Amino acid sequence: MTAQDIVGRIQKRLQEQGIAWRAQTVDTFKAGAPETEVKGIATTGMATFDLLRRAATAGKNFVITHEPTFYNHTDQTTGLEHDPTYEAKQRFIRDHNIVIFRFHDHAHALRPDPLVAGSARMLGWTQYASPTEPRLYVLPATTLRALAADVVRRLNGRAIRVVGDPDMAVSRISLGPGYGVPPLTAGVDVSVGGESSEAGGNAEYVADAAAQGQKKGMILLGHMLSEDFGMKEVADWLRPFLPDVPIEWISTGEPFASSR
Amino acid sequence: MLGSAGTLLSTGRARAQQGDLTAQRVVDRIRANAGVPWRDTTVDGFKAGDPATVVTGVATTVMATLDVLRRAVAARQNLVITQEPTFYSANDDPGNRAADPVYRAKKAFIDEQRLVVWRFADHWNARQPNESATALAAALGWTRNRLPDSEQVYQLPQTTLGALITHVRTKLGLQGGLRTIGKPDMRVRTVFINTGSTAVASTVLNLRRADVVLTGEPREWEAVPYVLDTWSADLGKGLIAVGRNVSETPGMQACATWIRSFVPEVPVVHIATADPYWSVGS
Repeated sequence: MTAQDIVGRIQKRLQEQGIAWRAQTVDTFKAGAPETEVKGIATTGMATFDLLRRAATAGKNFVITHEPTFYNHTDQTTGLEHDPTYEAKQRFIRDHNIVIFRFHDHAHALRPDPLVAGSARMLGWTQYASPTEPRLYVLPATTLRALAADVVRRLNGRAIRVVGDPDMAVSRISLGPGYGVPPLTAGVDVSVGGESSEAGGNAEYVADAAAQGQKKGMILLGHMLSEDFGMKEVADWLRPFLPDVPIEWISTGEPFASSR
Repeated sequence: MLGSAGTLLSTGRARAQQGDLTAQRVVDRIRANAGVPWRDTTVDGFKAGDPATVVTGVATTVMATLDVLRRAVAARQNLVITQEPTFYSANDDPGNRAADPVYRAKKAFIDEQRLVVWRFADHWNARQPNESATALAAALGWTRNRLPDSEQVYQLPQTTLGALITHVRTKLGLQGGLRTIGKPDMRVRTVFINTGSTAVASTVLNLRRADVVLTGEPREWEAVPYVLDTWSADLGKGLIAVGRNVSETPGMQACATWIRSFVPEVPVVHIATADPYWSVGS
């Protein structure tokens, strides 16, 4: 079976689930020949160079990545042509006959969104999902300090950042994937997501709410820690309709070093 | 409360007289002194208040939080010049938050105190050499270390990434907002400074000569994986991210000094915002 055959099966399965393949999408082949015979599939949060090495070692020559391979949303390589890091990565891909396909827009179109569901599962929140409001989790009352400590422990994060009074009471949590950190509103105590600008959003809202005596919080997991586990859900979604190909979720992992 | 604010505005303020220093006049002087062409499409402009307000003092800040606005009022600075948005969105449109109590209370405070908020980002960042990077370098004690043929690359006495991180953390008063990539024992001679976010193209270009990029909030699908990949290519580069507020704070302090040079009539001060983050165990 070729990489192209596998993408065809993915498109067919999406169709059966009521999701039409988009004309405009970043979900395309990013490297390698689509007609390459696939020995194994690795799903992952981001096709970093380190991830590609581990996929190759594990005998997975088809990498299905949620985020870009070449450092920008549309994987434009203009300006990278003679960059030694880019050249080394491309050489490694060529030498190991790796094919890379991005699965972003259509992954987020699945219901529930596997990128949110995967994080919720890792965080132990699945059972607390609101039956009516997507992305809302209603946890037994705790504090922001205790919640943040639990999140760091479960995700093994090295760069998780928190905004808000550590002693504030927390129950209603909105969980978003990647750059989609849910906006804080009156009905949400804490917003949890990947990355977001400090300007023009929740960080300023938390500060202004605090200045008015209202307690709000935000936990930024980092983009990768907020979506990496979702690609495990995608691996589980692929297996039933690709029974003849080995499929493994390989974690991209925390990109940041410990800075303490 | 919101309803009465309009009445206060129309009755409580003396009309600006010929020659009075209005917020509009301060902005006109900024435009005249900026030394860069004024753009047709820009986020820079009045975000709240009446440009005809007579200015009693000017405060610059990275972000006009409610706390900053209160400190400005307490010191009679009624023109607040902010680099970042005031109303929780890139274009300051409150959108879905128009009825939100936090937004409404902030807006009501601005109206009641007759503050004027003006945003200064695009044109401040367009000045050459980059004011924000120059000021951050000065805050780190590197003013004399800039490479003459480069705008934002600084050459330091040889150090390690670990020692550099400690220096940056201490000098900038970082709490939980510090994030890094690279090995602590990595040798460092040159640092590329880019405040705010970091475009991947300039990161790639400048890391050809710099060992480390020092930035605010690098995009985690752009500069972050690029720097991570340099380690897999045996070219190991370092990244130090200090957060947007912290990275831009020395710049807005320098902005106050700059405005003071052509607005001598009233006090011009900087109001600092701190690292907003904490982390578990810090």
